[in-house]
Amino acid sequence: MEGGKSPNPRVWALALAVGIVLADSSIVVLALPDIYRDLDTSVFGVTWVLVSFNLVMAVAAVPAALVARRVGPGRAAAVGLAIFAGAGLACGASDHLSTLLIARSVQALGGALAVTAALELLPATVGSERRATAVWATAGATGAALGPAVGGILTQLVSWQSIFLIQVPIALAAAVPILTVARHEMSTRVIEAEVRRAGKPHLWANVALAMVSASIAAALFLLVLLLIEGWRLSPIGAAIVVSVMPLAAVVGARVSGWVEDERARAAAGALLLAGGLGGLALLPKAEVALTVPPQILVGIGLSLVLSALTETALSGRAPQAIHGGWTISARHAGVVVGLLALTPVFTHDIAVQQKQAINAGTSVILDSPIRPTVKLGLAKKISDHLELEDGKVPNLGHVFDPLPEDEAQRSEVVELREELQEQLNAGATHAFSPSFGIAALIGLLALIPIGLARRIDL
Amino acid sequence: MTRGRALIAAALVLSLALVGVYAAAGGASYEPVQVRNPCEPRPENETSGGLEGLAEEFTLSALDGAACRLGVSRERLARALATKQNRERFTKRFHIDDEKLTKAIRAGLVRAVDDAEERGKIPSFLAGPMRSMVEHVPLEQGIELVQDAEKILNGGSFLGGLGDAIESLLP
Repeated sequence: MEGGKSPNPRVWALALAVGIVLADSSIVVLALPDIYRDLDTSVFGVTWVLVSFNLVMAVAAVPAALVARRVGPGRAAAVGLAIFAGAGLACGASDHLSTLLIARSVQALGGALAVTAALELLPATVGSERRATAVWATAGATGAALGPAVGGILTQLVSWQSIFLIQVPIALAAAVPILTVARHEMSTRVIEAEVRRAGKPHLWANVALAMVSASIAAALFLLVLLLIEGWRLSPIGAAIVVSVMPLAAVVGARVSGWVEDERARAAAGALLLAGGLGGLALLPKAEVALTVPPQILVGIGLSLVLSALTETALSGRAPQAIHGGWTISARHAGVVVGLLALTPVFTHDIAVQQKQAINAGTSVILDSPIRPTVKLGLAKKISDHLELEDGKVPNLGHVFDPLPEDEAQRSEVVELREELQEQLNAGATHAFSPSFGIAALIGLLALIPIGLARRIDL
Repeated sequence: MTRGRALIAAALVLSLALVGVYAAAGGASYEPVQVRNPCEPRPENETSGGLEGLAEEFTLSALDGAACRLGVSRERLARALATKQNRERFTKRFHIDDEKLTKAIRAGLVRAVDDAEERGKIPSFLAGPMRSMVEHVPLEQGIELVQDAEKILNGGSFLGGLGDAIESLLP
């Protein structure tokens, strides 16, 4: 392998490979409502589009790292990206949930191979192990933070399938500069990475990574659901809103550069993450602007904590690919646990909220000063609408259409509609509060393993 | 203070400030609209007055009375009575037969007459015949009266010219 201090396209290619694979764990979040409708599945079923990818990544990361070291990281990265691209094509062509889940799992296998091999290739490419870890961790955190926004924009402008299809040329483009290394390995049969034995993984750093990842996954997943299903924003609208998080993550990356102490960065990151999620749990009103301050804290927090913990987990440990595999495994296991633990909580809360919303809607209508016959007509429309919106927080706003022609009645109905919508939005917001609260608590509890995690310097 | 400690302190302050401000702004005090117990007396609504206002009061009292008898909320009953299909689903779910529903609707209508009389909206000498009429009303007509109380008050087929008398006597 070649070392190099000048700008190297391979560094970009490797960072891109890591970013695109780790973005994939969250990129479909904003597409889930569309997938839910297109593939005619349940909320629990559609959650598995996220869970399957993260679960396979969690299970396959360490074995993938071992394979990468055995066959050579260049070859492993190139093959991994090719598998990732091929499976992405299959995801885009899926017209059934089961085929989509299988393709997502294969995609995760390829992704695990590419990401762990990339970490093995980076030290030689960037010139130092420490810098390699920083590039790898930053690329991963950026990808994870950017994923939902990119996915939302693609879903709205093109389709949910385009999220997967666009990954194909990007993954192949990232593979091109890596092919040189792969060819070198094949021609020389030299696999430089095989010189060191794997030590024990950093237990506390990986436990903390799993916990904060559970918390971050919840933040992304729940916020997107709140925006789309609760407040009825379009995918692109939600994408614009959640893009606050990656922007804040960029600020977090700058802050990381000022503070060397990794435990301090990790602790500050976990506190910000918990604070941001606490803010989302206590949103005073259903207003998009109020999600911005919590998102800023979450974005800065995730950037600080993910990079600090990854660096701690990898510091002084060899080989990097194996320990990188452990961090990937911990992060994705955390995402899976977070999603599986919180899905029943928020689906239950949404169901309760749905009943309350319908009763609140009917109650507000019955107590309104409009004519009884109009009231009961509205009650009928609410009832009909309830059936159409089965399993979701209902939006009863348009049951009032068409508005009465009589001016006085019209203004009464408009006032009633606004009051009702306010009730529904407040209810929908509240339905997510317990889940955000649990996620905040998990982020806060991550301070325990962070306190126990000590860096090992060679 | 080292940079690390300063960073932790800043993170702690920011997080506590956000949570504190949001909680103080009402984030911790959400209360969903409470569904009132239909068996309790209903406070008088601000109605438009006249026959229309009386009809509105009548409908709400009748819904409360019928819901109380059936042990459900008036909101659920209002949705159930909206269509025949809704009604069938409702009666099946709560194991309510036609006889029970008829008795409940009649009880609701009687309560509506009682409430209107108590509040001085209809005079006692008219309340009596109205009460005897609704006590024997068939199910479909009873539901129709709950949904559109002006029919009972406006001289429709149920009370003949009585509605005109009611209107002339309204406060």
